[in-house]
Amino acid sequence: MEREKIKYTDEELIKRFQDGDERAYIELVKRYKDRLLNFVYRYLNSFEQSEDVVQDTLMKLYTSAHMYREIAKFSTWIFTIAANLAKSELRRLKRRRVISIHSMGFDDKEYEIPSEEYDPAKETTSNYGEKQIQQAIDTLPDQFKTVIILREVQQLSYEEISQILGISIGTVKSRINRGRLRLQKMLKELKEQ
Amino acid sequence: MDCYSFDRIISDYIDANLNVKLRQEANEHIGVCPRCREKLADLKSILNELGSLPCRKTRPDFESRLMDRINQTKEQKESRFIRMFQDYSRPISVIAAVMLLVATSIFVYTSVVIPNSPGSIPSAEIRSVEPNKSMTMPAAAAANVRPILVSTTNEGNLPDTNKVETPNYNNQIMMVNE
Repeated sequence: MEREKIKYTDEELIKRFQDGDERAYIELVKRYKDRLLNFVYRYLNSFEQSEDVVQDTLMKLYTSAHMYREIAKFSTWIFTIAANLAKSELRRLKRRRVISIHSMGFDDKEYEIPSEEYDPAKETTSNYGEKQIQQAIDTLPDQFKTVIILREVQQLSYEEISQILGISIGTVKSRINRGRLRLQKMLKELKEQ
Repeated sequence: MDCYSFDRIISDYIDANLNVKLRQEANEHIGVCPRCREKLADLKSILNELGSLPCRKTRPDFESRLMDRINQTKEQKESRFIRMFQDYSRPISVIAAVMLLVATSIFVYTSVVIPNSPGSIPSAEIRSVEPNKSMTMPAAAAANVRPILVSTTNEGNLPDTNKVETPNYNNQIMMVNE
């Protein structure tokens, strides 16, 4: 007779992992790796870097699982870790870009170097809309970018976003409103170009 | 409601977070303002597109790479512990040897050099006790007669506090058979 598979909640799984059950950790990895990647990818717009950030997030889950307390939802906790790591990575990337621009002389010509980075978007049919949207997201200031991705891409509630970012629900609402309008304006400009 | 006010509540309008009165005012405004109507339709389609962006998936070897990293971290932790133990093993053994030497010295000093000091163990000899024929001890109790510890140090000069008292039967004194 086939044994019925028990479906544990995220909170039950993290509790089991805290008690030493490593299978619970693997189950959490399976549940969250792609969700986290989608969030971080929209934030950084780089597949390689995003995968690294997700790896770091899940490593942190492994080493700091004891820090989780059941006062918050597990998803909120793990998204908070991912958001913080993604922010640090974005800052690092921006710094690197600034340095590489500064190190370029006035006479240097800028060449388009084909990226050898793995990008699943290349495997599917090219979606112009997606590229434009991603471009518009990239131009958003960080405070709007995070809320827009969490709300529109991850479909999280206002309350969850407020917990992840540590801001009030009122601020979340205001940022979402302003972020959406900025995104719209940016897309309009991109279409006109 | 004017266009500026509508801009401020457009998100709540889309998320249906407005109260009845504000929603009615917004509807009235959209009815008469083609610019805001268009803006609302455009924003709704952008949000729909955002929600249906293709999902990225981690590469197939993602989990194995993660597990490798975890194992590496574990090994590093273990080797760090071993290295730390190796680094401190010599001072630890020196301290342990010194402490053992000191403890042995104290023990020897207190038990041999100052035999009657509070912590010393008096040398004692065990002498067997045979019941006297004149004693009228019950047979079962006689079989359980325990040996008496008699201190031989400074015998006669100091009160013998090391003697183990045995029960006195019928007010007769047990005799030590010398």
